[in-house]
Amino acid sequence: MVRGLSKRFGSLRALDGLDLDVPPGRLTALIGPNGAGKTTAFACISGALRPSTGSVRFENHEISGTPYHRVARLGIARTYQIVQTFGEMSVLDAVIVGALLRHRRVADARAFALKTIEALGLGPKRDALCRSLTIADKKRLEVARALATEPRLLLLDEVMAGLTPAEGAAAVELLRAIIATGVAILMVEHVMEVVMPLAEHVVVLAAGKPIFAGDPRAAVNDPVVIEAYLGRP
Amino acid sequence: MSVRSHVAALAAVSAALIALALGYHNPFILDLVFTGLIFAVLGQSWNWISGYAGQISFGHALFFGCGAYAAALFAVHHGSPWLALVGGAVVAAVLAVLVGFPCFALRGHYFSIATIAVAAIAEITASNADVLGKANGFEMPILAPSLAALQFTDKGQYVLVALGLFVIAQLATVGLERSRLGYYLRAIRQNQEAAASVGIDARLAKLVTYAGCGALAALAGALYAQQTLYVGPEDTLGLPISISIALVGVVGGLSTVWGPALGAFVYVVLARYGGAMLGGSGRGLDLVLYGALILLIVSLQPDGLAGFARFVRRRGTAASS
Amino acid sequence: MAVDFGPLPQLIVSGILTGLLFALISVGLTLIFGVMDVVNFAHGEFLMLAMYATFGAGLIGLNPILALPVVALLMFLVGAIVYRVLIRRLLAGPPSAVVFGTFGLLVFLQGAAQFLFTSDYRSVPNPPFQGTLHLGSINLGEAQIVAGLGALVLTAFVFAFVEYTEPGRALRALSEDRVAAQLMGIDVQRMNAFAFGLGIACAGAAGALLMLTYQAYPRVGTEFALTAFVVVALGGFGSVQGALVGAVLVGLVEVLGGFYISPALKMIPVYVLYLLVVLVRPQGLLGRR
Repeated sequence: MVRGLSKRFGSLRALDGLDLDVPPGRLTALIGPNGAGKTTAFACISGALRPSTGSVRFENHEISGTPYHRVARLGIARTYQIVQTFGEMSVLDAVIVGALLRHRRVADARAFALKTIEALGLGPKRDALCRSLTIADKKRLEVARALATEPRLLLLDEVMAGLTPAEGAAAVELLRAIIATGVAILMVEHVMEVVMPLAEHVVVLAAGKPIFAGDPRAAVNDPVVIEAYLGRP
Repeated sequence: MSVRSHVAALAAVSAALIALALGYHNPFILDLVFTGLIFAVLGQSWNWISGYAGQISFGHALFFGCGAYAAALFAVHHGSPWLALVGGAVVAAVLAVLVGFPCFALRGHYFSIATIAVAAIAEITASNADVLGKANGFEMPILAPSLAALQFTDKGQYVLVALGLFVIAQLATVGLERSRLGYYLRAIRQNQEAAASVGIDARLAKLVTYAGCGALAALAGALYAQQTLYVGPEDTLGLPISISIALVGVVGGLSTVWGPALGAFVYVVLARYGGAMLGGSGRGLDLVLYGALILLIVSLQPDGLAGFARFVRRRGTAASS
Repeated sequence: MAVDFGPLPQLIVSGILTGLLFALISVGLTLIFGVMDVVNFAHGEFLMLAMYATFGAGLIGLNPILALPVVALLMFLVGAIVYRVLIRRLLAGPPSAVVFGTFGLLVFLQGAAQFLFTSDYRSVPNPPFQGTLHLGSINLGEAQIVAGLGALVLTAFVFAFVEYTEPGRALRALSEDRVAAQLMGIDVQRMNAFAFGLGIACAGAAGALLMLTYQAYPRVGTEFALTAFVVVALGGFGSVQGALVGAVLVGLVEVLGGFYISPALKMIPVYVLYLLVVLVRPQGLLGRR
């Protein structure tokens, strides 16, 4: 559904010629070592940055350079690497804000938000203030908020960062459940192990260029990929 | 506070004021109450944009003056004052959109200064345009007292109409807080970027809010004109008016339903009573007191007087849970 | 409708001189913003206080020029104290606290002036420089020239201070990157107080100069402050050069507008200019943020 043809920009070639397809109901991962250009790619896809060349298409709409709120309305939701919560609002209210996109009446949005919160296991915390949550819960909240907008594509920006192994495992389960509902997920991730059990398709970036695209298991054994992560032996 | 408690408080206040308006015939007191209600509505309208929407306006007199001038113009040209209310509100809403559309893209203080600039342009224009009465403004013709003419001999009846507007403003605010727009505004204030990621068009939300608050302020302005029967540029469009409106909002507490009413109460008490008590030499003392009050409040509790109440209540519930 | 270009040279010079005075006021405002991110809504009130102080000095025989150093120093101290007592506390709170705090200060000071000094207009008795200078077709009041040139000298002085001295560099470091400046060992609170004091001193000096040609009354502060805000926003918040450029521009627009359109409407082009500039270039002409 998302077809990024080719993107690069600036006098600094942060990203050079990335092609990416994200089919529905699947998880596609964009990985690479630090500085590979993942953040830039994510920014271009989510609408934060306008690519120098190339296009980002979603369901036949060209979305590169489109402002956030319109992108959300088209059915793309995202989370943030550094969690962006509605600090002083309660968990429930924060998710209601998301649900209001598709449910214009507050009562309907509230009902949907409650369902979403329960589904993500945040039920008991629904009246807590956003800023009082743990990092893991905040990330869960971000996902809940994003899901409340009933997206067809979910963009996750280094969602595993800062989680303990137990929290990470729980997150993996959560993502599995989300894919099962038919939502497409594009994950940008630094840590490879996390991605393996989940991803159907992996694209590896190094120094702005895609150096591998395909099955995650093959990626782990690919010499080019290993070199990118560990350096020349 | 729940909707029920808001309505209860509103009913209580209304009952008290109705009793006052019908029973107590001291024109000085009734004048005070009228002014207080007008400022409560103005403060509430300011609260919508500066508190809920987070874009602080120091040029709110623009909308107040809009309504006042609408009333004056309609009166001078023998139109119905009720039409003037509607007309003023519509014009104010349109102005709000025109000003807000480009200016909401600006960072906070640039916007605040822009509001001052626009109000200043309006004041200068009104002072110099024949159509708008130039510096002397308009003296509105005195008509036979009636509801249709919106003029009364008994000050108490003005208070009743003002009370009606106040009730509308309060209910609208309660509604705003609980509406989709209210949620969106809160989200925008918390984190504008995250808000955008869930589909919130911040500019549109702010524009709608601004248009609404402009209309509300204009209604207050038109009503004020009907009572004083004189509309002049300095009294209605001047910077001191904008400052007074902002003052009411800040002292009372932003982003609360009852803050502006509290602020208006303090304002009226200090201004008229204080000034009247001390006579001519008291001029300015009311401002000194407000200023000191604002400084005190801002240093201790940025949410104004209503914020204190909320703070206490939260402490109370935390202690009991 | 024929446009009269005859008085143009005079208008231009007059506009520049007026602008220079705005520059001095605005430089103080932009300095305070640049260093500590505070829009001092009460800036005009300090100007007003300085004008009254100069008037007071005039009552005991000091003309504004002689009073200037005293008034400026006094205002510097006032500024530093206001910073320590109030601004510092406001900075610890939410951003709206700063806006409402300086707003509250505005109300307080204006009220105090109204209460203590009444609304009467006050001028310095026996002001110096009452003559007129004639340069070809240009006729200018001596007082206006002295005020304008004085403002220029002082603005240049402030600019040089910020550019070339040690504390000036510290101020610039703070305005560019507060965290980095702190890591380099700069005492933020002391520098903030200093910057605030300096900004108020600029307003103070401007006030003294203004008393050569103007009168003091409680509302005079807000009138000049609005122009100062327009200047600072025009030039870009935080930019000293921007304040100078913006001020001269505003001065020219005001004087030319006053002549060619109408004296009563002269501020309208200024405000329109502001709105146009910030809409096209939100950071002002020379601003960074």
